This record gives sequence, C-alpha cells and structure tokens, in this order.
Amino acid sequence: QPLSPCPLGERLCSAEEATAGSGTYTRHGFIFSSLAGCLEKRSEDSGLPVVSVVRDAESQLLPDVGAMVTCKVCSINSRFAKVHILYVGSTPLKSTFRGTIRREDIRATEKDKVEVYKSFRPGDIVLAKVISLGDAQSNYLLSTAENELGVVVARSEAGVQMVPISWCEMQCPRTHTKDFRKVARVQPQFLQT
Amino acid sequence: FVPQPRLQYVPVKGDHVIGIVTAKAGDVFKLDVGGSEQASLSYLAFEGATKRNRPNVQVGDLIYGQFLVANKDMEPEMVCIDSSGRSNGMGIIGQDGFLFKVSLGLIRKLLAPKSEIIQELSQLYPFELVLGMNGRIWVKAKTVQQTLIIVNILEACEYMTAEQRKQALAKLSGN
Repeated sequence: QPLSPCPLGERLCSAEEATAGSGTYTRHGFIFSSLAGCLEKRSEDSGLPVVSVVRDAESQLLPDVGAMVTCKVCSINSRFAKVHILYVGSTPLKSTFRGTIRREDIRATEKDKVEVYKSFRPGDIVLAKVISLGDAQSNYLLSTAENELGVVVARSEAGVQMVPISWCEMQCPRTHTKDFRKVARVQPQFLQT
Repeated sequence: FVPQPRLQYVPVKGDHVIGIVTAKAGDVFKLDVGGSEQASLSYLAFEGATKRNRPNVQVGDLIYGQFLVANKDMEPEMVCIDSSGRSNGMGIIGQDGFLFKVSLGLIRKLLAPKSEIIQELSQLYPFELVLGMNGRIWVKAKTVQQTLIIVNILEACEYMTAEQRKQALAKLSGN
C-alpha cells in the first residue's frame, strides 16, 4: 500500500469507517491525526480497518559505552560541563542527547588541577567518548581524558574561529589573544583541507 | 579598570562586594550580589573555618567578600579570605547598622584614595562604613538617628555639589 504524507491535525475519516490506531485520536465522531507523518491504513480480519500515522521508519542511533561522539558545550560549572551530543561517530543525530563531562574526566593526568573554565567554554565543539549511559534521570557521562579527545572547534571573544597552538592553548588569528582549552589532537587522516 | 554598565552591577574577579545570604544549600551559601546571577560562597572560605568549625551564617545575613571566580560563562564564586588565608576585613557584617543602595559611580568616587566625602563625614560623627563595589553601602553609627543622617547625606551625594555638601554638613555639625 502506498504511504501518503499526512499533516498534523488532518481529519482522516469518520469513526464508523475505521478504528483509530497509533498517532491518531477520535473527536466528534471523526478520526484526526496527532502526528505529522505518513498515513497507514491496515485492514484487520475482524471488523474495521485500522488507520494510523507513522513517523520516520528508521530508529535513532543510540550512543553506546565506548562510542566516540561529537558534542557542543551548552553550559559550564566549576564541577562539570553540560553538552549536547550532535553526532555519534560520523552519523548526525536527529534529536540531540544531553551529556555531562565531569571535571575529573576532562584530563587523564593532574585531575585535581583541572579548571573547567580553562578547558571548555559554551559553544565549543568537543570530541568525547561515552563512559556511561547514566540512569533514568541523568545524562550520558562523557570523558575527554585522551590525547585525541577535547575541543576541536572554538570561537574567540571576537567571534573568529581559533587556531590550536598546543594541547592547552588556542589562539585567535585576528586579535592574537590566547585562550585556554583542552585541545584534541585530531588524527591526520581525519583532517580535511 | 573595567568599564561598568551604568545600572546593573557585573561581577568582576577581585571586586569586594556586600552580599545578602538568600539560601544555604549543603556546604554552599547562595548570595544575592545585585548581578544577573546569585554568587556561591563555600562555608570553608572564611578565616579559621574547618569542617568541624563552621561559620554561623543565617539566611538574611550580610557578607563582605571578594570574587574568586567571575566570568560571563559561570556562576560567580565569592570568598571571605584573601590568597594568604586571612580575612582582611571580610566576613559576616555584624548586627544593627543600615544597608542601602547607591549608584556604581558614587561608590567609585567614595573609594578614591582621598575621598573628601568620607573625610568630611568622619569629622561629623564616628561611624563604621562598608562599601561594596556592587553599589551597596552599610553604615553603623552610635545612635539610629546619627546612622540615618549619614545614610541621607551619602544618598544625597549623588547629586549634591561639593558646596552644597559642605553647607549641609556645616548645618548638621552646628546643631
């Protein structure tokens, strides 16, 4: 059966012709769609056909423990940084997940001397690794405690993309001011010029 | 020198301010410093404070401290000790006295090295004065009336000229 696109709130048919399935609701004797997706009509052996609205058929790729993720820092604190996970490996996610990078997981060495303000800032793009899925309420726990992990893209106060100088410093090409970040040493095969 | 906005105070690292305790959350106090965010103050950031010997801070108390961390990305952190661990005049401000707000420009005028206003006022009555860079001033004199007189003069210094101020003080010391 061909799947026709169906907008939100569309009146599909009368409640006497079919039964409401998933993604639909009945009101005033008619069936309306509660999702924007594709209309699906399945004929049941017993009784009326079932009308349902289906969204994307593919399921979301979930980050697993040990997966390399690309995320964007949304806020920092003296104890941790909160991030939005944008990519898992090289596949972009349709809806971002939230992650946390704790202060002791930012670096592998000298963990107590770490300052979150000198490692990440809001708006930075960071390569991290998932260390825990967390429980029901908490976010993914991420770590940047490796040479290849850390800040990849960062903007200076002037709004210009900064150039990494060392593993802990980045410089703005316009104002030449140096900023502290935990910089990732990206493998040469991943760099594109 | 950091250019200040004319109305609301922006926390700057190293600034000494007067904060009002709004909450006690475990080991950290939350202070209102007149900025966009509340500042946090650890109970260990007082002179001689240990885990057993906690400072006696209640909600509503006034604290004079300085900013340890103050940037636009994080919540500001305050401490009541300096880098060597001494309180240096910072800490909980005592009972009584009067807290009021003035403009940030007036505070900087008052904190100038040889401020005439402070010198002239000290000749009037003896009083205790705490100036916060966030526009807050705490005054305590011997009697409530003296305290209120000092408060009114300081508030009026915003728009009074030096002449008018000298006249007002002369009238008061005459009485």
